[in-house]
Amino acid sequence: MPLSEKDFPVEERSLGNGLQIRLLPDRSLPVCTLYSFFRVGSRNERPGITGISHLFEHMMFNGSKKYGPKEFDRRLEAAGGTSNAYTSNDLTAYYEDFASEALPLVLDLEADRMASLLIDDVSLVRERDVVKEERRFRTDNDIDGMLDEALGALAFLAHPYRWPVIGWMSDIESITREECERYFRAYYAPNNCTLVLVGDFEPAAALREIERLYGRIPAGDGLPKVAAGEPPQKGERRAVIRYPSQAPAMLAGFRGPGGRDPDSLVLDLIEAALSAGEGARLKRALVYEQELCVDAHVYFAWRMDPGLFEISLKLNPGVDPQRAEGALWAELARVSDEVMSERELDRAKNLVRSQLLRSLATTNGRAHTVGQMEVMLGSWRAMLDLPDRYAAITAADVQRVARKTLPPHRRNVVTLIPGEVEA
Amino acid sequence: MIAHDVELPPLQIEKLPSGLTLLAVQKRGLPLFHVRLSLPAGACEDPRGKAGLGHFTVELLRRGTRRRPAQDVDEMIESMGAQLFTDVSMEEGALALTVPAELSERALDALLEVALEPAFEESEVAAARRRTIAALHSDLDEPSNVAGRAVVSLGYGPGHPYGHPAQGFRRDVDTFQREDALSFHATRFQQQGGLLAAVGQSTPQELIELLKRKLAQWESSWPGRSQRSALQFTALAPSLATRAVIIHKPDATQAQVRIVAPGLPRSTPRHAEAVVANTALGGGFTSLLVDAIRVDRGLSYSVSTRLHMNRRAGLSVFSSFTKNDTLRELVDVALETMRAYAAAGPTQDALEKARRYLAGLFPLGLESHEALAEQIADALLDGLGLEHLKTYRSRVLAVTAEQAREMAAELSPARDGALLTVVGEAEAARRELNGLCPLEVRQLEEFA
Repeated sequence: MPLSEKDFPVEERSLGNGLQIRLLPDRSLPVCTLYSFFRVGSRNERPGITGISHLFEHMMFNGSKKYGPKEFDRRLEAAGGTSNAYTSNDLTAYYEDFASEALPLVLDLEADRMASLLIDDVSLVRERDVVKEERRFRTDNDIDGMLDEALGALAFLAHPYRWPVIGWMSDIESITREECERYFRAYYAPNNCTLVLVGDFEPAAALREIERLYGRIPAGDGLPKVAAGEPPQKGERRAVIRYPSQAPAMLAGFRGPGGRDPDSLVLDLIEAALSAGEGARLKRALVYEQELCVDAHVYFAWRMDPGLFEISLKLNPGVDPQRAEGALWAELARVSDEVMSERELDRAKNLVRSQLLRSLATTNGRAHTVGQMEVMLGSWRAMLDLPDRYAAITAADVQRVARKTLPPHRRNVVTLIPGEVEA
Repeated sequence: MIAHDVELPPLQIEKLPSGLTLLAVQKRGLPLFHVRLSLPAGACEDPRGKAGLGHFTVELLRRGTRRRPAQDVDEMIESMGAQLFTDVSMEEGALALTVPAELSERALDALLEVALEPAFEESEVAAARRRTIAALHSDLDEPSNVAGRAVVSLGYGPGHPYGHPAQGFRRDVDTFQREDALSFHATRFQQQGGLLAAVGQSTPQELIELLKRKLAQWESSWPGRSQRSALQFTALAPSLATRAVIIHKPDATQAQVRIVAPGLPRSTPRHAEAVVANTALGGGFTSLLVDAIRVDRGLSYSVSTRLHMNRRAGLSVFSSFTKNDTLRELVDVALETMRAYAAAGPTQDALEKARRYLAGLFPLGLESHEALAEQIADALLDGLGLEHLKTYRSRVLAVTAEQAREMAAELSPARDGALLTVVGEAEAARRELNGLCPLEVRQLEEFA
């Protein structure tokens, strides 16, 4: 059953400068969420300035012409709101959740920083230190983070997905103010942004305000070309990390399709069959039956360019990684070699459908989903027929996509072995 | 102007003679149905020497019932597109499911079967014991996780009902037998003090009738009535002077920092004052501490203070992290900022900002089916009532400067007797903290 447009009466507008606007009124609670999606992420970077997209996300909170340093969040919180942002390989998203009375202020804050962000050396130095702490927290002292970073560098030779979103430490340390300014001019123009407003507001009035505040911001030049090429993988690749951990761990990745490729929906179902819920194949086999792992988890996200289908194993202390790997490969081979039963396929479809519905349960969730569909799939309307597209996937599709995506020669494997590297 | 009161969706509450509370909330919109069963089976109920038994028992529920083995339990639940949510807080053990609206009866049957008719097969108990021990071991790899476990263990202290993490300790889990799980289930999975909540598209009356009909079908499956002795909650004894515990994490290039002092229970009549005073100090992105540590000095990515408010006792906790060689600077700035705040309280601007921030965002915590059920259930079970939610905004908006100032002093994590906990490389931390206060180095494994 598709989602009904009647339940999601999204209004679509765009301004002369190219800003895309999506409005979804919902008066059930006196709150709103505003998302600003910029089509820029780590794939738009180059060696030497890796991490600039993420560093820039931090810089966006350091003041603009009308609202000086510290003012953005101070004004927002004083009006009953909060903000945050995230950067991915493909995009940077900023959001504000707020009491609906604060809408004029929130639009003014966002428009002002798009029009006139202040980038100074003092805030750059300070924010660089903050980001380095974030990197130490998420990567240098975090097993999942260090595995993920190593996997990207292993699986991609040429594509920008090769480096971590947070960037290499040496690059974070050396990015200059001039590079930030160039980045802002290139990517933070209205024609590279989709604005999504959801919640308790009057659409005509909100649109008038958006036009007034954003309409004067000039469009940017075309976006620099992304070096998106990647040679085919001709054999398994491996890397080993030694770290004084309690137990071994493993992260495997297979290069899959891009987000707009219909096969990505099939991989969503394979992900659910393998790791969503305690009865999923990997959980059942590796965690419960063979007792090899504390956790077995699959992660597949839609990407602009062909991204990774990742499998993470957190091994029980003392388990031989080779044994766990063998069990993993056997489970993946089953997906390729055997036809998935209708019952199991239905289970996966139901789990994915429920996940989509739950993502629409909050104001922030609806705004995020509308924007993500717009940026990643080309239109928010993609979410309406997603349930039908999942429903139409057959067991033969699952087998075909598994065979194409998960053969042994496409493996990239990073293993973490407890122990220290001798100095 | 932010409206002063929050309008809850249509709901009905009914307390049954058995002591079980029924809660039905009508939520229109998405065609979803949510059910949540909360029982007085939290970590504070763990018997002495059996820390983690509540968590262990609740996790075991899904590993087979008297009607079907574990694999079929998973199939029963996940074929509906749902995943069984389990949570063991200090006070309660909770199980919940969210399913498409048309599957409401199946969801209730599944949840009640899992909650009330566990098999606790010997082999499953042994496997769960091995899994839990492996997980506790593995959790030591996450410094923030170790810091969280240390806050609870050291903050409340040994012997206090809240003085252990819900997952327990390896030494205790190692002793768990089938009889322990059976006994915990028989004595804690009681209707008295429990709450069954449903959130869905039907009217509250229809939802209550559905709950009653299903409960009648499962009536004989509840364990028999059982009396338990009341828990002893002694007041948290303040230490005389600040002290530090360093938990050694080899190779760590960053230190996790917690500063802990006794706080307030959730039932405090001064709840609003406490939350407002804490927000100005260390909540949100513009608090005093965020300014001093992150914005002005770039010492950390994350800094906050949080009130751990349990039903009968609480803690006041400062949290942050920084690279090894700025540990002392971060601790000094944190202590100085918190001490100044304890003496002066918030400025009028900071007070106003904290009040409006809390009031404006409050409705977001009641948006999803899951949040509605959890928030209302907790308010009822903690004895706070619906008024706690309905009047939350007006109460925080009414907090005065004087009230906030008093609370700032009373709840400061930096007052004398506070405990500084650092998870990081011991030698580096010891060098940095030298001369600050008495230091003690503990090994990571002690916190598994």
